[in-house]
Amino acid sequence: MTEFHLDARVLAAYADGGLHDADAWSVEAHLDSCASCRAGIVLDEPTARLVEAAAVALGRRLPPPGRARPASAWRRVRVLLTAAPAARGAWLMAVVVAGLTALGGSVGQATLPPWLLLLVAPTLPVVGTALSYGPRTDPLHELVAGTPHGGLRLVLWRTLAVLTATAPVAVLAGAAAGLGTPAVWPLICLALTALTLALGSMIEPATAAGVVLGVWALVVVAPFGAWTLVLGSGPMWWGVTAAAVAVLYVRREQVGRRAA
Amino acid sequence: MTTVSIHGLRVSYGSRPVLEELELELGVGVHGLLGPNGAGKTTLMRVLATVLRPDRGEVRLLGRQLSDPAGLRLARRQLGYLPQSFGFYPRFTVREFVEYFAWLKEMPPEAIPLAVDRAIERVGLLDRADDRMKHLSGGMLRRAGIAQAIVNDPKLLLLDEPTAGLDPEQRVEFRALLRQLGLDAVVLVSTHLVEDVVAACARVSLVDKGRLVFTGRPDELIAAGAAGDSGDSPIERGYAAVLRGAREAAR
Repeated sequence: MTEFHLDARVLAAYADGGLHDADAWSVEAHLDSCASCRAGIVLDEPTARLVEAAAVALGRRLPPPGRARPASAWRRVRVLLTAAPAARGAWLMAVVVAGLTALGGSVGQATLPPWLLLLVAPTLPVVGTALSYGPRTDPLHELVAGTPHGGLRLVLWRTLAVLTATAPVAVLAGAAAGLGTPAVWPLICLALTALTLALGSMIEPATAAGVVLGVWALVVVAPFGAWTLVLGSGPMWWGVTAAAVAVLYVRREQVGRRAA
Repeated sequence: MTTVSIHGLRVSYGSRPVLEELELELGVGVHGLLGPNGAGKTTLMRVLATVLRPDRGEVRLLGRQLSDPAGLRLARRQLGYLPQSFGFYPRFTVREFVEYFAWLKEMPPEAIPLAVDRAIERVGLLDRADDRMKHLSGGMLRRAGIAQAIVNDPKLLLLDEPTAGLDPEQRVEFRALLRQLGLDAVVLVSTHLVEDVVAACARVSLVDKGRLVFTGRPDELIAAGAAGDSGDSPIERGYAAVLRGAREAAR
């Protein structure tokens, strides 16, 4: 809005066609942005009708107004998260393992070996993350990989969604299994997920998840009881996470952009 | 003004070279990219779309080197890309699909709703904008794909086989849209349909076995053909003649 307004005599001259072209253009440029001066134009009856008819005719040629949605931050987050093909899958898996945990709690630790939950629960976010991006599992990968926001940023958003769904289940499983402190379970989730992402910048994400899952399974079912060691070493898991994040940072241009 | 330049480009899958020593300069306007199957058209498109990293060579998009991360990000904001085949999230509506890519291309949030509507309107899908993608026909999906490619008013638009699956009427409309887009952007269209090239392209390039064998105006390609060449239309005869010439020279 401007403080400058046109004189009524200028407006009258403009409406009568009494201005030179250059002056008329300046007046029009101002009228485009000033509603009060537009209101100040007085037209005689036939001209007013002509203007109205022209407005109707022009309006008809415009495309019908769509239902443009406001691009609110909330809508953005919702679309970003629900777009991830595995976000829903991760929720589903989380529910299944929560059920398994409840079952384990009810039948007691005698029938269910204690390491079984440790084997399964921390792998949930690994599987969920690997399913949420990459040329094999994301149907839009080819399109997404060429966008400025489609690499590491998008992958981190989706990982966050997967972790939100699966980490609480890991805590629950930890409490049910009664192994280690409950805090170490989500920490293992975090470390394994970071490893998967880091490895996924070098090889196909699904393969990376397979490698991480395989190594994890070896550690847990190793006959010499490595899993008791694993649960006691919080600092080691922080170290693994930090190393994986460092690799991710160095290779950030490759994350989520590997060609099929 | 040249806005895309490629020098000494080499891409190979394993030990098999797909593009070799490719040189290409593109300015504003609609360019057709022709060539037989397996000539390397799609690979070239993917390199320009920044999806595939070349083994060697220099690629400059819109004056920015692809090897420089900051330049790459700026170039990607001004890119539009329609791959030959692409999937979709079945639960997405057309509007959500286009909106999603407007966000991924880092458009200013306040500009997105109108840009999304405009892009959907330009491909003629406004009446289906709130339908889920899984309920669309093949031609509609392709038009939704074109809408996401043009939503950010790209300065470089890459369309790989965009007319596949469109009916004749839609193809005519699409060519009109192409000419409109080519007024102020570099538009590269790869196609098998030589008649699309005559109708919509100001320049045409022909790729064979990973090398550029012709670049010029469509009428120059037509002029290359003689009555004895195979083909049903003048440009098909020109296409056949240039390919034959290139293959004889390579021997």
